[in-house]
Parts: sequence; C-alpha cells; structure tokens
Amino acid sequence: MATSQLLPLELVDKCVGSRIWVVMKTDREFSGTLLGFDDFVNMVLEDVTEYDNLGNQTHLEKILLNGNNICMLIPGGEPGGEAGSE
Amino acid sequence: MNNGTAESPFSPSAEKSETLSNNPSAFLSQITGAKVAVKLNSGVEYRGDLQCVDGYMNIALEQTEEYVDGVLKNQYGDVFIRGNNVLYISSI
Repeated sequence: MATSQLLPLELVDKCVGSRIWVVMKTDREFSGTLLGFDDFVNMVLEDVTEYDNLGNQTHLEKILLNGNNICMLIPGGEPGGEAGSE
Repeated sequence: MNNGTAESPFSPSAEKSETLSNNPSAFLSQITGAKVAVKLNSGVEYRGDLQCVDGYMNIALEQTEEYVDGVLKNQYGDVFIRGNNVLYISSI
C-alpha cells in the first residue's frame, strides 16, 4: 500500500496561496493566486490574467471561476513558457 | 492503518482556517451587493450590482450593462442569469 499517495484534490489544496495556471475545456486560460476552492473545484483566484482564444490578456482583481469548464490545473505555471522552470 | 494521508481536505477540522475564509461561498457573500462583472462562456459580459447568487451560480443583477466584445450593447434594470452559462464572477 502506498502510504504517501496524494489525492488529486489534496494537490489542489496544496496550491492554495500560490500561483496556479488553469486551462479551460475551451480555448481559454487563467493564471492567478489560488485563494480557495470547493468540492466542485470552483475556484477563487486573485491577481488574475485571463488569456482568451485570440491571445488577448485581461487583468482581473479577484474572481470566482466556475469549475464546470475547467480542464487542467498546473501549479506554479504561467502560460507562455515559464512553466518550464518548474 | 496507514491511511493518515487520506484525510479529506474539506473536513472542517482541517487546520486551514485562513483558506476557509476565501472559499467560493465566502467570496460570494463578500461581493454580494457590490458591483461585479459576470462573464459567460459565450464571452458576453454583464456588469451590475450583484443582488444574489445561489449554489447553481444563478445570478440576479441590477443596473446591468451588457458588453459584447468589450462594447456596451444594452442596459437592463434587472437581469437573471442562469448559472450554467457563467464562466466567472469578478469583483470590480
């Protein structure tokens, strides 16, 4: 039995307070500081940059992101190459 | 038993009290009554005074402005937005 197995949502919980990169099902991405989340993985993000399908960037102070369309979460990462430094 | 790591991150006893104050429902109660921007999956954005939100993210706004591609297209006194369309709710 693996005693050190990490549940997926525990990984998300570890990211609370740090930068996170969120990739949506559609061609849209967000990066920001994760403040909290719930059982549906709706997330509260702060100091957010939204990247839309045309490459436009929008800055947002604080958002509640609907978890319904989230595809992937990347701890510490930012779109555009910085994720490689992880 | 070796299941010490299997504890749910959502248990009330978790020592993450500062995260509990920033979870989605706490954020919603913080911004209720304030001016917010609601973006839908279609990209259309609604800005107005947040009256209330429920667990489905159904939203009631007042004094609402509708922005399509960032351009003001319409204004409404009262708006109900069905939650399944909501991408995010942002404080502004």
